[in-house]
Amino acid sequence: MIITGKRLPRRTFLRGLGTVVALPMLDAMVPAFARRANLDLKAPIRMAFAYVPNGIVMKDWTPKTIGKHYEFTRILKPLEAFREDMLVLSNLDSHTGNALGDGPGDHARAGASFLTGVHCRKTAGADIQGGVSVDQIAAAKLTGATRFSSLELGCEDSRTVGDCDSGYSCAYTNSLSWRTPQTPMPPEVNPRAAFERLFGTEDLSLDPQTRARRAKYRKSILDMVSEDTRSLVKTLGPGDRRKMDEYLFSVREIERRIANAEKDPRQITPTVNKPAPGIPFEFPEYVKLMCDLQVLAFQSDVTRVVTLVMGREGSNRIYPEIGINDPHHPLTHHRNNSEWIEKVTRINSLHIELFAYLLGRLKSTADGDGTLLDHSMLVYGSGLADGNKHTHEALPVLLAGRGGGSLKTGSHLTYSAGTPITNLYLSLLDRMGVHQESIGDSTGQLKELDGL
Amino acid sequence: MVQRNLWQTLILLCSLICVALFVFDRGVKSANSPIQTPAQTDAVFEKAVRPFFANNCYVCHNDERLTGDLSLEIFKTAASLGQDRATMELILEKLNAGAMPPAKMPRPKREDVAAVTQWLSRQLATAPQKKAVPLDAAKPAEINPGHVTARRLNRAEYDNTVRDLLGVDLHAADDFPQDDSGYGFDNIGDVLSLSPVLMEKYLKAAEKISRTAIFGVEPLKPTLVRLRLPERSVPNQMTPLTDYDLTGLNLPNAIHTTYRFPVDGEYVIRASLGGERPAGSEPIKIALWLDGREIQMVQFDPAKAASFTDASERQALGGMTQEFRTKITAGDHWLAVAIPHLYEGLPASYLGPNPSRLPVPPPRVFKPPPDLTPQQVETRRKELEKHRAEKLPANSARIKSLDLGGPYAVTVGPSRQSLSKIYACGHLDGHHTKGCVRLIVEHLSHRAYRRPVRPEEVTRLTSLIADVQRDGGSFEEGLATAIQAMLLSPHFLFRIERAPLKLLTVAAARSLNQHELASRLSYFLWSSMPDDALLAAADRGRLDQPAVLEAQVKRMLRDPKSHALVENFGGQWLQVRKLESVKPDRKRFPEFDEYLRLSMRRETELFFEGIVREDRSILDFIDANYTYLNERLAHFYDVPNVQGPEFRKVLFAADAHRGGLLGQASVLTISSYANRTSPVLRGKWVLENLVGTPPPPPPPDVPNLDEAKIGSASSMREQLEQHRTNAVCASCHTRMDPLGFGLENFDAIGAWRTKDGLFPINASGTLPDGRSFDGPRGLESILKGQPDAFAECLARKLLIYALGRGLEPGDDAAVKTIVKNVGTEDYRFSSLILGIVKSEPFQKRRRENPR
Repeated sequence: MIITGKRLPRRTFLRGLGTVVALPMLDAMVPAFARRANLDLKAPIRMAFAYVPNGIVMKDWTPKTIGKHYEFTRILKPLEAFREDMLVLSNLDSHTGNALGDGPGDHARAGASFLTGVHCRKTAGADIQGGVSVDQIAAAKLTGATRFSSLELGCEDSRTVGDCDSGYSCAYTNSLSWRTPQTPMPPEVNPRAAFERLFGTEDLSLDPQTRARRAKYRKSILDMVSEDTRSLVKTLGPGDRRKMDEYLFSVREIERRIANAEKDPRQITPTVNKPAPGIPFEFPEYVKLMCDLQVLAFQSDVTRVVTLVMGREGSNRIYPEIGINDPHHPLTHHRNNSEWIEKVTRINSLHIELFAYLLGRLKSTADGDGTLLDHSMLVYGSGLADGNKHTHEALPVLLAGRGGGSLKTGSHLTYSAGTPITNLYLSLLDRMGVHQESIGDSTGQLKELDGL
Repeated sequence: MVQRNLWQTLILLCSLICVALFVFDRGVKSANSPIQTPAQTDAVFEKAVRPFFANNCYVCHNDERLTGDLSLEIFKTAASLGQDRATMELILEKLNAGAMPPAKMPRPKREDVAAVTQWLSRQLATAPQKKAVPLDAAKPAEINPGHVTARRLNRAEYDNTVRDLLGVDLHAADDFPQDDSGYGFDNIGDVLSLSPVLMEKYLKAAEKISRTAIFGVEPLKPTLVRLRLPERSVPNQMTPLTDYDLTGLNLPNAIHTTYRFPVDGEYVIRASLGGERPAGSEPIKIALWLDGREIQMVQFDPAKAASFTDASERQALGGMTQEFRTKITAGDHWLAVAIPHLYEGLPASYLGPNPSRLPVPPPRVFKPPPDLTPQQVETRRKELEKHRAEKLPANSARIKSLDLGGPYAVTVGPSRQSLSKIYACGHLDGHHTKGCVRLIVEHLSHRAYRRPVRPEEVTRLTSLIADVQRDGGSFEEGLATAIQAMLLSPHFLFRIERAPLKLLTVAAARSLNQHELASRLSYFLWSSMPDDALLAAADRGRLDQPAVLEAQVKRMLRDPKSHALVENFGGQWLQVRKLESVKPDRKRFPEFDEYLRLSMRRETELFFEGIVREDRSILDFIDANYTYLNERLAHFYDVPNVQGPEFRKVLFAADAHRGGLLGQASVLTISSYANRTSPVLRGKWVLENLVGTPPPPPPPDVPNLDEAKIGSASSMREQLEQHRTNAVCASCHTRMDPLGFGLENFDAIGAWRTKDGLFPINASGTLPDGRSFDGPRGLESILKGQPDAFAECLARKLLIYALGRGLEPGDDAAVKTIVKNVGTEDYRFSSLILGIVKSEPFQKRRRENPR
């Protein structure tokens, strides 16, 4: 390559000041996208996942009867107000979370398989290998439709040292979302950082011209570094090359976001104030704040895919807010000790109360011809059913929201043994307009969800 | 298969002696012959080894149960086992240690064990060092130094590198997502990924950092932050104490926290007060402490402040605040607000030290509202009298919370430090001739990329500056943009070790070039870029001279920047990073507060740092007779004569309970549950971090301890012993639990105790090999008795950290050499570091195997 001092980058550096004055990428207040502005178009469907760790006390979860008019069990009770907006789905499996010859490590596998349907490779380090998760499949297909193709939120700091579970890398327990089998998407756990990611940090006190100039420089810098990287890649071995490919992907992703932001000059004012730095001290407050951000993201249509990890798989969180000072994970190995089971049940109930908060917020937010909840599909669940025995079958799964009228809600459905949970995901992707052949171990679409 | 099932049944049914009669004793003779042909090897395997496995091991280590992730059933031929070095080493280790078969199982005959261990030893001696890789076949003798994947700077490294490159200490990486860790550390090249989220943060950080370096700190609007801390319970003390901490820092009435201050500037610290003082008390004092030094003290008179309570009855502090305003530098600081001389100035009736000289206020005249019935008036009078008669505790005044406002009066303009790091040419105040531009950029990029830069790389960066200038921006604006580009470049963000192109097709290992070596050194010891001296040594090509290398390493260890090794390596090796997030049960451990947490962490840091700086023996980690304490921790450890919040080195008495890491509250706390100790966790901690033989993970559906019973129905020891009657559990727990029992005198936050609930502590333990000991010091002497095991454990951890990759069988020879040399150098810390730095895996690299 011949490089001279006069050479200009691929995207010509300056098109003359003032011609392309786009909003800087990190500019405050994100635009809704042009297609929303087309009047009378149906509101888009959003997809979300909420994960809770360490299984559920299933006897207090599963409703006794099938079909409509089922009785809400003790744990599900807080959701009763949303009976007509949700489905309880029983007997779905995540078979790939089982050992399958790999020995211990059920927590890591439960987390890693929940959204992927893939049995992850047992390794504590170098060669992590999982599967592509359903949210990321949707995100990849929806790229360009919204500013962010997906948003990953978490409510437990992943500050961990060493193996996270029996020789499994922490990557498996930290991230539910996987963009590629080697690339986990760790959730953002800091509410303020999540807010800034959505709505920017740029100093609005700067004059627009300066902001525009800086945005332009950013673009040329990205041009320059990606060209540098491309020439670097040629001299590298496969492992190093993989690292540089990751780098290049990320640069392109940022460039794409900038381009998206340029397409739409409108501004939205967030309805939530910028959170304080740091993480709220009380767990319920923390989760609610993350839920608020999720609602905000859907409301302003900056993304249509959100994954919320309420707790990492294997979580040892204590819940002093509800008088539980024992760590969660050891409690779930209760060996049928009734006191411990009671404590786990209370933790399970607290999580459901918080999920009910999220549903309530979605239901009270108007969106197009209905509410956000009407236009959403939220899967709530855990990759383990019985935390004591580490079972990966007959998982606790809820599906909330009406999917823009495409879901026939209000029932408790149960499936025949061996139905993979990934079948549910296939059906949901379909409703997002993403027609996928299969996900992980899926065997086909789930019936009975149709409102038709 | 039939035979195996039969044996399984027999083993389960028969007693020890009964089974021993059946054990094969064939094959021993042939195993004694010095050299074996392959045919003989196979014969011994068939006659002695495999039957031994079948009789003693298959019961657990079979294809279905896979106990400890291991099946021996799969090794059907001598060749199949002979290729698996790791498994052979594992079996040999277990048999030699007497750890297998587990204690509850029938013992095999000694000569049968010998037959197997001899066969294994011989196989290991003759088998190739690692699985044959075609590319290596040509030179089997060469140690394989392994391949290190390009390493992205992790968060700590990013912050440190930015600080050393540009003199900017913004801690921008606080906003980055958590780095994943592998092999116990968060600097492993293969594991560190780069998501779009991180790239976005890099972009943002690069802009902020470059502008800060060139123009100074961006104006920050002062903000108010509430430092939320769990309030501590203050047990009522009715009579004043005379012997107590006069600074008040150790009392629960004080508040402690750490905070990362964004910039140098003035900050307002507002303390919210609480509690009550008896009427007639003298004003209290309130003191602000920063990093263990008292920086301001003010007098506060609750009787004079507005209150809903009548000061002639009691002085209520609730809702009152006291503000301090002070200059604080950017970075992490330890803030505390305390009430000194808490028990002084109380009314004379309290009989406390230095009683109040103020007159006792006259009782308020009882004036009932006019429209009450006589009965109501009487009730009111009684209430008032009761209220007056009630005596307030002597220690109720306290600091409830802190708010932080600022920054104010921020220094404007770039720091001298940044200027001198950036402007290699021309005046610091910004008049630069055109000729300087290239020099400045070259100097900066040379340091940012940690290697010589090619002229065309400099040209690309200078053309960026020219573009900005053509656009009407200043030179500084352009330079900031160029720096921003450098900070985003893969050459800055990654440590890439590249084989020269012509070597790419050759599999041979090659020595690192000088700059790659300098980077490995500085990121190992400093978690940061090479400084000018190291870079200059690399530029001159002198780092391959052993004397130069050694001098550089020793210099770097003495430099304060080696604190990074303590913080990043030590924090992860000893897992004391977890201390930040532990939450001991507040009801059981009311004394665990922020001050204690911070003090615990500081003790271990200072202890490690002392070993590094003073180049002491690494065996100090096991049983040093000294540590570093402040008053809070000394009080907690029951060590007399340590006053004040500053830490100092303290020698333990000969009969002290504590010494080495295992006596430090930090380690004892992170290896416990929130509400109780765990001999299992502690034993595991010792095996993992001091002995280097981590136990395999537990099988699923293991029964847990019945916690409700501990301390009431049965002791922890009894519970665990019951647990060990299960042979599968026993195989690991006989190794873990005794180690943990030795530490049972320390409770779940590391305080000394002699009873757990109702039961006296029994801190004795017997190891699988029969050695027994009593108490923590006994455990320490056992550990000290095998110094090379500890040295190897530490060497392996350091090597993983230094290389940023997991160890492979090919590294074993290097580890053995390092350990041997450390032993001959009195186990000095620097000899360990030098051993690693001079080792093949550190000095060389190999190209990846093509796939």
